[in-house]
Amino acid sequence: MGKVALALAGIAKAHGSNAVVRGLDLEIFEGEFFVLLGPSGCGKTTLLRMVAGLSDPDSGRIALGGSDVTSVPAEARNIAMVFQDYALYPHMTVRNNLAFGLKRHRVPRDQIGGRIERVARMLAIEQLLDRKPHQLSGGQQQRVALGRAIVREPLLFLMDEPLSNLDAQVRANTRAELKELQHRLGVTTLYVTHDQVEAMTLADRLAVMNLGRLEQVGRPLDVYRLPATLFVAQFLSSPRLNLLAGEIAGGTVRTPVAVFPTGGASGPGGPVQVGIRPEWLRFSPDPVAGSLPLDVALIEPLGAEVLVHARWPDGELVARVAVDGKLPDRGKVWIDAAASRLDLFDADGRRIGSTPGDAEPSNPREISPPLQPAAARGA
Amino acid sequence: MKRVVGRILLYAAVLIAAALVAMPMYWLVVSALKPSSEIFTATPRWLPGRIEWRNFVNAWEGAAFGRYFINSVGVTAAILFLQLVTSSLAAFALARRRFVGRGFILFAVIGALIIPIQVTFLANFITLQHFGWLDSYGALIAPFAASAFGTFLLRQAFLAVPDAIEDAARLDRCTGLAFLWHFLLPLARPTVVAFVLVALVAHWNDYFWPLIVTNRDQIRTLPIGLAMFVSQEVTTDWNLLMAATLFVAGPVLIVFFLTQRYFIRSHVNAGLKR
Ligand SMILES: Nc1ncnc2c1ncn2[C@@H]1O[C@H](COP(=O)(O)OP(=O)(O)O)[C@@H](O)[C@H]1O
Ligand SMILES: [Mg+2]
Repeated sequence: MGKVALALAGIAKAHGSNAVVRGLDLEIFEGEFFVLLGPSGCGKTTLLRMVAGLSDPDSGRIALGGSDVTSVPAEARNIAMVFQDYALYPHMTVRNNLAFGLKRHRVPRDQIGGRIERVARMLAIEQLLDRKPHQLSGGQQQRVALGRAIVREPLLFLMDEPLSNLDAQVRANTRAELKELQHRLGVTTLYVTHDQVEAMTLADRLAVMNLGRLEQVGRPLDVYRLPATLFVAQFLSSPRLNLLAGEIAGGTVRTPVAVFPTGGASGPGGPVQVGIRPEWLRFSPDPVAGSLPLDVALIEPLGAEVLVHARWPDGELVARVAVDGKLPDRGKVWIDAAASRLDLFDADGRRIGSTPGDAEPSNPREISPPLQPAAARGA
Repeated sequence: MKRVVGRILLYAAVLIAAALVAMPMYWLVVSALKPSSEIFTATPRWLPGRIEWRNFVNAWEGAAFGRYFINSVGVTAAILFLQLVTSSLAAFALARRRFVGRGFILFAVIGALIIPIQVTFLANFITLQHFGWLDSYGALIAPFAASAFGTFLLRQAFLAVPDAIEDAARLDRCTGLAFLWHFLLPLARPTVVAFVLVALVAHWNDYFWPLIVTNRDQIRTLPIGLAMFVSQEVTTDWNLLMAATLFVAGPVLIVFFLTQRYFIRSHVNAGLKR
């Protein structure tokens, strides 16, 4: 890892009596694409605005490139930000939107034109330079907002859910371009989102934020594979985490629906919370010892995968399984406990067993065998 | 069919209303162009039989209209400039900064809006007397250097500019007065234009106050000059009176004509914005 570009120490901020950011420490390295992932309302925007200098933390220090900027005003920090609703200057052409910050930063006039041309070409917005923002589509506005940040060549990019106002197709394309662009420019980026797919695909490292605190910081696959807390496991599960109350007893976890092997995690015994990702839950079409029979309640095809919802008297479990042509049909299934993978959490939601620092294979597929359409019975 | 009839009725109503408004204007212009002999005729003449351009020359020379005109332009321009400066600065603070007493000041501004201007005349007169400014340009300009109306109008327009724009501008190193100049004023342009036009008409046509504070002919403005002209002239020279009236009304009409695009748009926007 290189030098630290941005360091936050003990940052706290309250809006009135509402403690929004509660003592947050974070280090981001030079050139890194760092994603802050958290549900809406967890304090992401509040944190970003403090980094930008648009609001002051109640306590804590902010350092940029090694120097303390906590009391440096926003306009002197040399940070560029892409706002969620873009905040383009409505009365200026695209060209002037890009030029304005350069002029205010006293970039020599003869360099401004060249820099704008270069960035416009990079983002394919050359034809739009003489339009006003209201004459642009959402995707084009987003590019201009990005261009306005890039052309400044700042120390740090801040991006506040910049893709959330785009439709799905444009969002996916822009996401890929954004990652490529950031790596090419090498500018340290702090990117905020509530979308786990965005976080997983864009981040060099990510942090999961909840209620104003960081739950876990790490590389995307590490966090995905070994969630440090129940919250992280839940937040990174799609459509949702299967959560069961369990009891550890001698190498097994006993839950109301099945008895699972703990897979090495050995707690002191007693009650635990069992989290099973939909993609890590296996159903078997044949009875399995120790498992309750479940009723298949709903099958949702997603394309290459299907979601199988199976109901037991006290709840519902969902598994995400690959399909190879034949869709599973309704009937009874049993949990294939031996083939499923689970995470154990204590009553406070902290992970039990292998900790996020442990060496792990780099591909999650190696942990769980390739998915079988376990719920698919002979059609 | 029903729609066509409705349209016709609508246009008829609009035409009648327009005629009612335009009629005095038309009569003013036509009378100013008529020779004296055509002013009083048994049946009204809608068009002058002979166009008498000399009416304007005679009227202009009938009083010191050149001087009045320069005074009016100077005084009105000074008032508009000062009002724009003070109103936009005050509106900037009231709309976009938090400070102790903001609510009270806003309340005072709205209060000043409600108070009829005539109520302030006595106090202003006495103040100017103390300054020794009576019968000077200062007396014509100073009382109108600030405008509650302008302050309130611009405050509303500045409020409508999203905070995110200010944040973005700040990261582009544009803060404070630079933000007012580069963002708030351009973004509020329809409101600014509307305000300037309303203030222009009010101060260009102002009669009462200049009459009270001026004695010397050299510093009087057009409306007073016109009134003097009326009282001097023998009342039969209606064509000259109408020509002189055009000196007063003409410039405002021209400015309105040139800026009506913005003016209309600002009223449209006023309906749409929150
Ligand atoms: N200016 C503000 N005044 C009061 N409360 C605020 C303000 N800004 C944000 N909040 C509150 O702080 C919490 C976090 O907001 P925010 O940082 O915008 O979350 P996020 O960006 O993660 O969705 C929310 O509960 C929000 O209601
Ligand atoms: Mg937010």
